[in-house]
Amino acid sequence: MMMSFTPAPSNTVTAEGAQQTAHIDAHLVNNFMDAVVNVLGTMSGTQVALKELLPALDYKPQGDVSSIIGISGEHGEGMVALAFYEPLAKKLVSRLLGLQAEELSQEDLMDGIGELVNMVSGKAKTGLSEASGMLYRLSLPSIIKGADHQIAGRPKNCPFMCMVFEAEGETFTLQVSFRQF
Amino acid sequence: MPYVLTVDDSRIMRKIMAGAIEALGLDCLEANDGLECLAQLEAHPNPGDVCMILMDWNMPNMDGFTALKAVKANPSTAHIPVMMVTTEGERSKMVEAIRNGASHYLSKPFSDEDLTTRMVECLEGQL
Repeated sequence: MMMSFTPAPSNTVTAEGAQQTAHIDAHLVNNFMDAVVNVLGTMSGTQVALKELLPALDYKPQGDVSSIIGISGEHGEGMVALAFYEPLAKKLVSRLLGLQAEELSQEDLMDGIGELVNMVSGKAKTGLSEASGMLYRLSLPSIIKGADHQIAGRPKNCPFMCMVFEAEGETFTLQVSFRQF
Repeated sequence: MPYVLTVDDSRIMRKIMAGAIEALGLDCLEANDGLECLAQLEAHPNPGDVCMILMDWNMPNMDGFTALKAVKANPSTAHIPVMMVTTEGERSKMVEAIRNGASHYLSKPFSDEDLTTRMVECLEGQL
């Protein structure tokens, strides 16, 4: 594992929103961090480093394009979103295909961003399932475009964490909103 | 020329797999989901020419596990080796797929080398 988040003594990350106090499991955060590093390293040969973790209160929308996927199971549900500015998104997706960024079609770019969130969530889901013994399912990915768009619809009182990563001198975010019950 | 049928709702994944298939000197057919996979097999003039199927699990319309079972239940396609190529990395899913006829299982993400090695293993004795 290239990096890991050290759990707080309570083994939770506190994400205090204006109307909520929610906790996100530190092992879940680590699962997703590892998944991002593994997917981008394996599929596109890109080195990725975690820059910072932002709780809900400090999170501000950033990125031109996001891919979103839902995770659900008998004992948990949530949402995962990867958000990029387009130049970095083009670099990463073009590497999946062994192309130059300028050779990439818009259709391939959208599809590739969707596949990245699918693989990151799948990898993290596998870790989550094997640690808990419970199976989770992924939805099909959706794509949102628009400068610094906001993703609405996150359930109230659902723990949230935004991880800011750096790759190729640019940043992208992974937003995880997940609750177990 | 033998064909490999790639079944994945992601164009990017189909293109990645097509590149690896063509590098092995094989042709490639594509399907976007399980239903298209079955339609391709039915429409193809000689199902014996399809030497392998690379099958995603989570797809719209018909998932890859359902399509795997349909391929294996059909006497004219049951002989075709199916390799699941999927984000479903849980051991229980792998066991379920193998028990239902999958020859190999490759979890995403994978490197080019992983994909080529597994395809060669899966194709052993087919060409």
